[in-house]
Amino acid sequence: MTVVLDAVSKSFGNVKVLHELSLEVQDGEFLVLLGASGSGKSTALRMIAGLETVSGGRISISGRDVTDQLPKNRDVAMVFQSYALYPHKTVAENIGYPLKIRRLNRTEVESQVREVAAQVRIDELLERYPRELSGGQRQRVALARAMVRRPSVFLMDEPLSNLDAKLRGHMRAELKHMQHELGITTIYVTHDQIEAMTLAHRVALLEGGRLQQLAAPKTIYEDPENLFVAQFIGSPPMNVAHGRLDEGTFVIGEDRVATGGTETVANAVIGLRAEDCQVVAPEDGAIRAQLFANELIGDHTLVTAKIGEDMVSIKAPKEFEAGIDEAIGIAFEKDKLYLFDRDTGARIRRS
Amino acid sequence: MNRSAMQWLFEPPSIRDMAPGTKLIVYAILTFWTAFVLFPIYWVLITSFKSAIDVNSGPVYLPFVDFQPSLHAWKELFVFDFWDTLRAYMNSLIIALSATAASVIIGSMASYALARFEYQPRFGVVFMFVLVMIGAFVAVGRYGVDWRLSCAVGVAIFYFLARALGRHFRARLSNGDILFWMISQRILAPIVVVVPIYMMFQQVSLLDTHIAIILTYTVINLPIVIWLMYDFFTSIPIDLEECAQLDGATRFGVFWDIVLPLSRSGLAATTLLVMILSWNEYLLALFLSTSRAQTMPILVAAMNAGERGILWWSMSVVIIVMIIPVVILAVILQRYISKGLLLGAVKG
Repeated sequence: MTVVLDAVSKSFGNVKVLHELSLEVQDGEFLVLLGASGSGKSTALRMIAGLETVSGGRISISGRDVTDQLPKNRDVAMVFQSYALYPHKTVAENIGYPLKIRRLNRTEVESQVREVAAQVRIDELLERYPRELSGGQRQRVALARAMVRRPSVFLMDEPLSNLDAKLRGHMRAELKHMQHELGITTIYVTHDQIEAMTLAHRVALLEGGRLQQLAAPKTIYEDPENLFVAQFIGSPPMNVAHGRLDEGTFVIGEDRVATGGTETVANAVIGLRAEDCQVVAPEDGAIRAQLFANELIGDHTLVTAKIGEDMVSIKAPKEFEAGIDEAIGIAFEKDKLYLFDRDTGARIRRS
Repeated sequence: MNRSAMQWLFEPPSIRDMAPGTKLIVYAILTFWTAFVLFPIYWVLITSFKSAIDVNSGPVYLPFVDFQPSLHAWKELFVFDFWDTLRAYMNSLIIALSATAASVIIGSMASYALARFEYQPRFGVVFMFVLVMIGAFVAVGRYGVDWRLSCAVGVAIFYFLARALGRHFRARLSNGDILFWMISQRILAPIVVVVPIYMMFQQVSLLDTHIAIILTYTVINLPIVIWLMYDFFTSIPIDLEECAQLDGATRFGVFWDIVLPLSRSGLAATTLLVMILSWNEYLLALFLSTSRAQTMPILVAAMNAGERGILWWSMSVVIIVMIIPVVILAVILQRYISKGLLLGAVKG
């Protein structure tokens, strides 16, 4: 089912936490709302769930305007970061609760609970209480409770952030597989860009209550709309160096880099992904830099270098060796270069 | 094992792990304390079997050894005065149970509302209501206006005033103010309010009825219930309630399915406390009842006002039968008072 947000905004008193957010979630899509804390992503999710009132704009789910509907009338299920399992109910009662409220008869509830429990592989635990479960098992129970009534939309609020790193990776794969199997529209909130990139069909990156970019993970990585998106996505984040753009030539210190464009911007920023750079001899590189540190990660060496005041990271082959403070050159292909206006953060697309 | 004094105080080791000498001292202290607590009950119990001479001729401690127990006090209350005793007992049971039930039900719902909804009544409107009600009260008390008429007119005046002027008041009260107003009801000593309460029930001709005492007890117990339950309700993670809402529960369904079971410890403790307070209340009952609605505490007090002096033996009998229902209730409710109800609800 589709979810449409039309210029939805939210204010708490005088503080505006969400500015006219508009987005459209397709049927069966896995959309991730990504952002740092305070970006408004959780507020947006809670507004879709109906747990937070809407200050402006409309929300509709499968074509029906639900802006003023109670949460229970929206046909959405939510998985909370804290799992929110009912501690006085057994696992089976927890999962069956949404069905019990809908007055399904006992045998029907039982069979559906069993079916869903088997899907998330907790059928052994049905008689236990939440306090007797591990974090990963609680997570599965919360998921099963959301799945059992086949909602139009799944809402997930950082569901994996309470798990340890190993389990998180495993659950991430399971979530992705399950969402594919069930084909239920899912809106997923996270601050973790890896989760966003791996799970999402499309990522909506929020910052300061504003939508920065809404695109597929590949697009958001390769074609960021602005400096914020460029620096938020990627590990390590995109390298930036400050300088000026003089009729298409980027001037930084004594180095001049032809960008292939013709723009002139007084305060400009170039962006480069760590994997798009090579470390070369100082006289061969487009930009000269000073080596700050090099760390062998395993399959590559992460070289940190200083361009003027800016620190940049470069992924070099694992055989790379050089001394700290040595002068190096950085080489890259021209079309891997991103240009931004430093004052507005907007991307400068070369004409 | 090296433990600091503080640890010893706040995380005491189990008696089983103690050195024999320490164990002995601990048991001695516990035995002394048990005797200290139980002795008055023992004393009341044997006094109920004593005759007037046994009581007045100095302390005697052991039945069959120090004195010959007799059933005369029990006979007097349960054979000769059977109907009086039974009436007081039934009055006490009806009043205490009804008042407890009413205050716990109303109070816990009010408390939940204060814990989970945001109220912002305009200060001016509340103030207007108080003024109008004072006016209505004065009209009844000073000028003899019929109380029904006075109340109706008061409410009508308030309604139109609030409609006309309400919008112009800026200052608003919050949940904290309401909560404090609730507890402020208990700041005044009961003796201060007992005369106005007496007057009020006299006006509506409800003196010496169950309903008058039940209403009064409910009102004085409400602040206690609200304050105690507020703490329990706010300690329940809001996620649970939001999740239940999304699962399809109504506001009341959330309260019934999730909040009540999780706060049953608090409910049990509060119920017990309120029950004991209502069961033992003396001062208001003294004013509000004369004969038909008399409760057990009044009966106890009557034992030392007779022309035969203080009837210690009869008083003891009444005290013993008064203890029984509270003990039964405590035993029943104690099962619900447990720790760790919220374990496993949320993580982090």
